[in-house]
Amino acid sequence: MIVVKNLEKHYKIAKRDPGLRGAIKSLFHRKFETKKAVKKINMHIKAGEMVGYIGANGAGKSTTIKMLTGILTPTSGEVKVNGIIPYENRQQNASHIGAVFGQRTQLFWDIPVRESYELLKHIYEIPQAQYEETLKEFVDVLHLEPLLGIPVRQLSLGQKMRCELAAAFLHRPKVVYLDEPTIGLDVAVKVRIRAFIKQMNARYGTTVLLTTHDMQDIEEICQRIIIIDDGSVIYDGSIQDIKSQFGDKRVIHFELEDAADSFVLPETISEVTEVLPRSDEDPHLVSLSFSNKNISGAEVIHTMMNHYSVADLTIADAKIETIVEEIYGRGMKKEVQHEEIH
Amino acid sequence: MRKYIEFARVQMQVHAAYSAWFWANTFSILLRMLVIYFFWKAVYSSRTEIEGLPFEGMITYIIIAMFLQMFVSGVGQELAHTIKDGNVAIELMRPYNLITRLVAMDLGDKVIHFVRGALPLSILAFIFMDITLPSTWQSGLLFLFSAFMGIWIGTFFDLLIAILAFWTINLWGLQVMKEAVISFFSGALVPLILFPEWFQTISLFLPFQAMVYVPVAIYTGILTGTEAWLALGSQIFWVVSLFVLLRILWSIAIKKVTIFGG
Repeated sequence: MIVVKNLEKHYKIAKRDPGLRGAIKSLFHRKFETKKAVKKINMHIKAGEMVGYIGANGAGKSTTIKMLTGILTPTSGEVKVNGIIPYENRQQNASHIGAVFGQRTQLFWDIPVRESYELLKHIYEIPQAQYEETLKEFVDVLHLEPLLGIPVRQLSLGQKMRCELAAAFLHRPKVVYLDEPTIGLDVAVKVRIRAFIKQMNARYGTTVLLTTHDMQDIEEICQRIIIIDDGSVIYDGSIQDIKSQFGDKRVIHFELEDAADSFVLPETISEVTEVLPRSDEDPHLVSLSFSNKNISGAEVIHTMMNHYSVADLTIADAKIETIVEEIYGRGMKKEVQHEEIH
Repeated sequence: MRKYIEFARVQMQVHAAYSAWFWANTFSILLRMLVIYFFWKAVYSSRTEIEGLPFEGMITYIIIAMFLQMFVSGVGQELAHTIKDGNVAIELMRPYNLITRLVAMDLGDKVIHFVRGALPLSILAFIFMDITLPSTWQSGLLFLFSAFMGIWIGTFFDLLIAILAFWTINLWGLQVMKEAVISFFSGALVPLILFPEWFQTISLFLPFQAMVYVPVAIYTGILTGTEAWLALGSQIFWVVSLFVLLRILWSIAIKKVTIFGG
């Protein structure tokens, strides 16, 4: 359904020296810097698959999705969605896809939800009978009945998201791109939305590409995940595989009594554990990552207690979250080193 | 085609819903009409005609021009917003042409404005202020055609300016300037024959007079015969060239979005 081969996207970014002098200089002589947002990505997604597409902010997720929807032209490489090259036949591609962007609304702001759907019926040229049947089904599953008469701008975030989701699936698209569909929602709404996505996939065989930072979404909806970091695919496979591959990974967060600026790993465990990049928000926090095979959690804690006064600690278990955190962490480290070199 | 008709219909519905806005707008137009009427009454108190125009001719011109001006802007504001907040990307993911969609919505707006605002108010003006009908039925017909052209020229020009939002950070200043230039050069405030000769010559080569001045001058008999037909010809020229320019600029802008990411 989705075939991507050696896909690349480079942006040209105008670079200028700081300050007024730089601003004036840039008027006459502009320096450009090429940023490779996506580097030689390959993926093959079959019809009916539900794939989680994850990566840290700025890893290249949105750029890829934009190329798949046809609103961005690749620098090089090949994209085909449902046999169509999206950026060449944008409108033709548009009638087969649906999308939800958690941060933007696609419904029409001023008119009631029902009118929005009526309009979508005409936009996507949905036959009347099919439209009625689909809408009835969606209203049942997502509990939209009380919302249909309300203008979109008066809906709460959770209500709006349910309506958005129905809008994205209304024309029974073959592929649906969901970009953070559960951002900022409460647990009950999240559960309902996940159930709806799974139901659509089961009933209509809709192919779903989901990006999210909520690992619960991924674990419940997707069979397969693709992890992207710094523009390249670093993992593509089933969730089961990644769990068994990294399943022995553990992360323990230590809250130290003193600021952790001068923290040095105790020598006895320095061979088998790794300090994850620290956040600026909490100067007392130190996170250690290690493999269960090499050292037990108890031993790490014991060593730490001996060397530092620990106020509190949390053990992250081997959920997909931990694994991803670890992978992102490495990516960030790379970035830091990168900057130092410059 | 059907989807664009639906957009126009929905837009009419949206507008019909804002009744407080409608009454405020109607009230402000009424006030403007009164101010215009008494101003020109005072101007004419010591003379019978200005540049060959008697009071009736003048007030007819000014009022009709005022109504027409309300229709010569378009949905540029909306387009500029869409570009600015990045929603244009989502619009590009839909199976329709954004410009056509916006024009359809604009048409819906204009129909509602005409039916609820301009039509009843101009009837009111016709009864209570000394507004005259076109001198002949031919000039009346020609006026309708010419006004139609003028509205398209205004709509296209407005969209053209809005597309510049792809390149400039802030469009507000440009749009304010556009409004000022249009009020001045289009003849929406006073007939262009009141301006000096050189000014009239310049505006002859600009698209603005084709928006308001030409149709209203045909209505009031300022432009007749060959002059009127020539003016119509220039209107057709502007409609076609602005339309072509709009399409070209739009496809360049879309390329910019799809290649540089906005």
